[in-house]
Amino acid sequence: MAGLGWRLMRGRGAKQFSLVLCGLSAVVIVLVGKTNPALFDRARALLSDSTEPVLSELRGPLVAAENWVADAGGIFRLYRENAELKQENEALRKWQNVALSLQTKMQRYEQLLNAVPDVELPSVTARVIGEASRPFIKTMILNAGAAEQVKKGQAVIDSRGLLGRIYVTGANTSWVILLSDLNSRVPVVIEPSHRRAILTGDNTPAPGIELDVGDGPVHPGDRVVTTGDGGLLPPDLPVGTVVAEGRTLKVALFARPGSSDVVRIMAYGLPTPPPAAEPVPPATAVEQPKVPQDTVAAGIAQRPPPPAMPLQSQSPDVPRFDGQSEEEQDR
Amino acid sequence: MRAAEDFLESLHHRTRFLASLIPALTAALLVLISNMPVSFTGELLPSPALALAGVYFWVLVRADLMPPPVVLLIGLLEDLLSGGPPGLWAAGYLAAYWLTAKQRETLAGLNGAGALVGFTGAMLLAAATAYGLSAAVYLRLAPLPPLLLESVSTVALYPVVAFCMAWIMRKTVGPETGDDA
Repeated sequence: MAGLGWRLMRGRGAKQFSLVLCGLSAVVIVLVGKTNPALFDRARALLSDSTEPVLSELRGPLVAAENWVADAGGIFRLYRENAELKQENEALRKWQNVALSLQTKMQRYEQLLNAVPDVELPSVTARVIGEASRPFIKTMILNAGAAEQVKKGQAVIDSRGLLGRIYVTGANTSWVILLSDLNSRVPVVIEPSHRRAILTGDNTPAPGIELDVGDGPVHPGDRVVTTGDGGLLPPDLPVGTVVAEGRTLKVALFARPGSSDVVRIMAYGLPTPPPAAEPVPPATAVEQPKVPQDTVAAGIAQRPPPPAMPLQSQSPDVPRFDGQSEEEQDR
Repeated sequence: MRAAEDFLESLHHRTRFLASLIPALTAALLVLISNMPVSFTGELLPSPALALAGVYFWVLVRADLMPPPVVLLIGLLEDLLSGGPPGLWAAGYLAAYWLTAKQRETLAGLNGAGALVGFTGAMLLAAATAYGLSAAVYLRLAPLPPLLLESVSTVALYPVVAFCMAWIMRKTVGPETGDDA
């Protein structure tokens, strides 16, 4: 009897010891995660790479079930939604005419001024295979990674606007920190006042804004776009509109992470400055050029074509944005 | 004859070993499901911590197959896959494990609304631990409503998870016997 009791005591003691040890390990992991986040980012990338097939397989039936539930609820709102959509469509048609005439005018001005046209940014189209909307983090997992030349810091957009930016890349997957995440800070500019601000995520659907540079007035309804400051995010990406919540100003985001099934990762970086010209020694300055002048002139006239965009998605499995309508891009 | 008996016995041991992995595997599957890009509430509620419901259920019915190191790994998987700070939910899950294991006999005897109240206690302790640890280490208070909403959605889905886990238990590992403990 005493032996049995001792064995039970020992068993319970071992379990308690194991629990204490595991609890301490968890605390140590939290501390290491704070001091060396890169260590866990690598683990995270490996984990998402290895679970990508399971996530992709599980996603299909769950998305179908979600759509079914959403459709079932939507039946009761069809009439009202139809009326609202008709109104919205009418208003948008007016705006379309305005936009088309402005586009023509802009093209004419650009031709007159011989302006350098905006370069279309290369991008990778990726599918959302995971999403976490948790109290401590708002993230997405995409099925494109280093193999598609996705890099940390790149902007991720859906058909409506900026969603967030890449913060971890694995071989075939990457992680997006959403604008609404507590750790997200993005430089933006508010139009039409051109007031600069920092968009600060606070885990609510509408992030806050910390006004930074300039003194123009900011009103609810003003448009918020990226600035491109720091060279990480491309400028002029639509972010949202300013809304007032009590006395604080917040931003109602254009992008909808929950309904974004397919997203674009924008490759952007400040152009690298050309290498500094080497000083020409005085002795060679009088030398005859080794290349005939007419060849040099021809070389200038026939500038080589720009290099191929390295970030276009090569995978046939990955759906493309180009040529798709907005309805097709949305789930 | 002897060889056949040995083979059957080794097969039985292997099957038993594989069956003993089922609680951990189902909890890991729940982590994956929690992090899928779907929302059945139109994003009204955040993703539920389904894996905690799984861990709670298995600790009640088969604590021998859900020891603390497995709970730690499940919590860590949740942290890594949800993209959150590593270790927060791992600590939260262990706190819930501590409460459940300590009050196991009482909690296992609860039915209906009582079982929900029992799980709510474990969920709140896990959430409070993760929140407190996050505040202490990151020196910043995360907004409370999303955490409370996550707790609500997890508690609401506990009966579904418990029903599925109970079915899996009946078909595979079976209830705990004196030999298992």
